Amino acid sequence: MKRTENIDLDVMRKSPKLFAFKPIVLAVAAGTLVACSDPTEETQVYRSAEDCISGNPDQVEQCELAYKEAVNEAVKSGPKYSSMQACIQDFGPDSCNSYTTQNNQSIFMPFIAGYMFSSILNGGYRSAPLYTSYSRHSPAYGKWSSTDGVLYGSSNSNKVRVNDNAFKPKPTVRRTMSRGGFGSTIAAKSRFGGKTSRSSWGG
Amino acid sequence: MFRSIIEERPHWRNTASEYGFTFHTMHGAAYWDESAYYQFSLQQIEQDIEAPSEELHQMCLAVVDKVVGDQQWLEKFQIPEQHWDFIRNSWQTKESSLYSRMDLAYGGSGPAKFYENNADTPTSIYETGFWQWLWLQDQVNAGKLSRKADQFNSLQEKLINRFAQIKFQHLHETLYFSCCKDTDEDRGTVQYLEDCATAAGISCQFIYIEDIGLSADGCFTDLDHHKISWMFKLYPWEFMLREDYADALVDSQVSWIEPPWKSVLSNKAILPMLWKLYPNHPNLLASYFEEDLKNSQLTNYVKKPIFAREGANISIHLAGEQVYASDGPYGDEGFIYQDYHPLPAFGDNFTLIGSWLINGKAAGISVREDKNKVTQDLSRFMPHIIL
Repeated sequence: MKRTENIDLDVMRKSPKLFAFKPIVLAVAAGTLVACSDPTEETQVYRSAEDCISGNPDQVEQCELAYKEAVNEAVKSGPKYSSMQACIQDFGPDSCNSYTTQNNQSIFMPFIAGYMFSSILNGGYRSAPLYTSYSRHSPAYGKWSSTDGVLYGSSNSNKVRVNDNAFKPKPTVRRTMSRGGFGSTIAAKSRFGGKTSRSSWGG
Repeated sequence: MFRSIIEERPHWRNTASEYGFTFHTMHGAAYWDESAYYQFSLQQIEQDIEAPSEELHQMCLAVVDKVVGDQQWLEKFQIPEQHWDFIRNSWQTKESSLYSRMDLAYGGSGPAKFYENNADTPTSIYETGFWQWLWLQDQVNAGKLSRKADQFNSLQEKLINRFAQIKFQHLHETLYFSCCKDTDEDRGTVQYLEDCATAAGISCQFIYIEDIGLSADGCFTDLDHHKISWMFKLYPWEFMLREDYADALVDSQVSWIEPPWKSVLSNKAILPMLWKLYPNHPNLLASYFEEDLKNSQLTNYVKKPIFAREGANISIHLAGEQVYASDGPYGDEGFIYQDYHPLPAFGDNFTLIGSWLINGKAAGISVREDKNKVTQDLSRFMPHIIL
């Protein structure tokens, strides 16, 4: 046989899917609500390394390391703004800091408001940074939020219920400086002859 | 090889919309045409198309190897000098390629003649790999075609297997699929490839070419400001190498499908190079660069721009006279000259074979028909069978 033996036609069908769920897009990064995965673990939230140490006097080193890691993870995967004003709009006054990137660009990011810290066997631990917003416009107002905008409940609480994903590193969020640097040739070429025969830019 | 009339499937337009095949009719004209089909013998397929396609592909790779190592040829191929290392590097590290389509002139006997290589952004893969496959299935089940009828078309199977191979170099990475805005055909093509990659277990996302961003630290970004590290683009390298983000290509460290060395393989300058390396090969047409034309004794020839798509800016010259010319926006980078070898005619149709390769293995054919001698982007796609 010179042809594909079998094709799963159900997979190939593109007719409109019923009950399509459209996620609500939040202002903070790409916010999503934790909907279908069950929170499986209650974990402690600390607002600072000292806060962590006072709760875990035998884990001074771990608390300090976890804090540093949370700050680093936040710098890597947290939301980044091109102006202080835009950052304040999402996180509230006195909540943002400026950073200088390697090529001397200024970017603005919120401070972390705390971090999750959870001991595991053999003196190990897991941690992840948390934000909160003091801006009433933000869906994260008064709530704990992960760096990618997942909300975990009131920031008055020192405990959050999370699943395993909460501790996984998030993809790094970059500061996009520009868009549209690819695609200009087609704009120029399609001016030729109007738009009569253009169907593909492949061949 | 012959052309047979057949009854259309009664509800094929509904089926098309069910499967998301939205571009079967374009600009008011039929693009998918199932009022007839082409029939090949197994011998024609295996000896005249399958084997020569794989051999031609290997010959083309030999040309790439020669060109990337030689400044003179890189210039001839109109590759901007600042990207020579980028392309050379991509070739020397053997960056994985997915697919290509060779256009062949073949009418059922004699050697198929190699027209050109669409090795960077070939389209019509959905129609080939899935839609004509479904047509055969339906027509056999309806009793209109023999149960013994086969098709030269393992494209979808090979695509999925190839994606599964490439995946091992990109564990835990997201593959971004990309094409330009405002073209249903390209969007449909990219969706099909995304479906095949998904079937191979790859996590996929889509972004339009025009929406790609550049970050402060030199990464290409998606609309969520995440780094793009692996991308399929249905957008020609010859455009990308000349646009605003061209200078960011090296630092962005994206792994591209197709890889940058495809800019050499898909270049029409490969045709005169092939003729230099493999003169008088039965599947090649004599081809020359501009400066070699005078001494070539070529009297009937086709003039093709080094960069062009869908039959644009092509002219036919017979005994010193231009007898045909298509218009278009290409040609700034120069032309090549290819021996005139007209497409075979079936009735009043001119027929072109597209021979698909997945990572160098022949994977099937598409048949396109046109009332014109030069196949353009609106020529009709016809199904085929082997019997």
